[in-house]
Amino acid sequence: MHELSIVISLMDQIEDVARVNKLVKIDEIQLETGVLRQVIPEVMQEAFESVKLNTICENAVLTILEVPALVVCNKCKSQFEPAIDDFLCKNCNLADVKTLKGNEIILKAIIGDK
Amino acid sequence: MMKVNVVKNVLKANDIVANENRKIFNKAKVLALNIISSPGSGKTTLLEKTIPALKEQKSIVIVGDLQTTRDADRVSGIALRAVQINTGMSCHLYANQVSESLKDLAIDEADYVFIENVGNLVCPGEFDLGENLKVVLLSVPEGDDKVAKYPTTFRVADIVLLTKSDLLGILDFDIKKVKDDIAKLNANVTFLEISSKTSAGMDEWIFWLKEKRSQSVGQQARFVTEE
Repeated sequence: MHELSIVISLMDQIEDVARVNKLVKIDEIQLETGVLRQVIPEVMQEAFESVKLNTICENAVLTILEVPALVVCNKCKSQFEPAIDDFLCKNCNLADVKTLKGNEIILKAIIGDK
Repeated sequence: MMKVNVVKNVLKANDIVANENRKIFNKAKVLALNIISSPGSGKTTLLEKTIPALKEQKSIVIVGDLQTTRDADRVSGIALRAVQINTGMSCHLYANQVSESLKDLAIDEADYVFIENVGNLVCPGEFDLGENLKVVLLSVPEGDDKVAKYPTTFRVADIVLLTKSDLLGILDFDIKKVKDDIAKLNANVTFLEISSKTSAGMDEWIFWLKEKRSQSVGQQARFVTEE
C-alpha cells in the first residue's frame, strides 16, 4: 500500500515540474525504483491509474524502471549485488554493508506538451 | 512534445520533514524510537511495561493506527504525554504526521519518544520519521519464518525483539533459524528475547535503551561543542 503514498508524492513533483516548464499535458513519466524499496510495479500502476484522473497526467503512461541493488562490504570493500534476503559478503561471510544502489525512488524524466 | 530530465527523489518531501524531526529530537536530548511490527505482536504491551521500568526517565508516546485511540488510551496514564494519530487508509506513519504531533508535546521534558507505527511489516520501514533508531518486534506466535518473508524491514532494524518469549516452550519456534536469517541481512542488529508477561529480558531491553540514549545525547553534546 506504500505505492499509493509514493504515487501521491510523485504527482506533487510532476505538477511542480510541469508548472516550471509550462507543460499542459503529460504523455509519459519515467520513474526509477530500487528493488530494496519493495515497490510492486503492478500495484504502482494501479495506484497511478486512480490518482491521475482529472489531472494533467490523465492520459500519461507511467514507465517504471527497476534498479538492482548494489552494496559494498564495510570490511573487504568488495561490491556485489545482494539477494533481497541475503546480504552476506562471500569473502567475509558477514552482512555488514553499505547500500550504494537499490534504495532510490527517482523521478527521472517527464515527457509532455506545451 | 518535450522531454524534461528531472532526477528528483520522490520521497524528498518526507525526508526533509524527517530531518527536521531529527533535529528537534536531538535538541530536546530525547532518544526517538520507531517501533515496527505486525499487528498484535505486543508493541503497546511492551510500552506499558517499559515506561514504568525507565523509572525517573520520562517517555512520550506517539501511536499510529488506522482507527481508534485505544493504544494511546492504554499508555496515557503512565507516559508523560500520549498522542494518537489516526492514519485512516494509510498503512504507515509519515514524517509530517509526527511533526504535527510534536507541536503539542512537551518534548523538552522527556527522555524518550516512542513512535508506535501502524501494525505492518512492509511499509513502515520505508518511511523515515526522523527517529534515532528502529525497533522491530517479532512475536513467537507469528512464526519463525517472518524474517525471511519480510527481509527489508528486519534489515533496517537496529534491534529485533522476540516478544512473547514465554511461549517458546509451548509453540514450535526455531530461534536459530530467526537469528540466522537476521545474520544474513545485517550483522549489526541486536537481538533480544523478551516477555512482557514474565518480564524476562526486560532488564536487557531497559539497559539497551538507556545506553543508546546516553550515546545519542553524548554525540549531540559533542556536536554542539564542535559547532
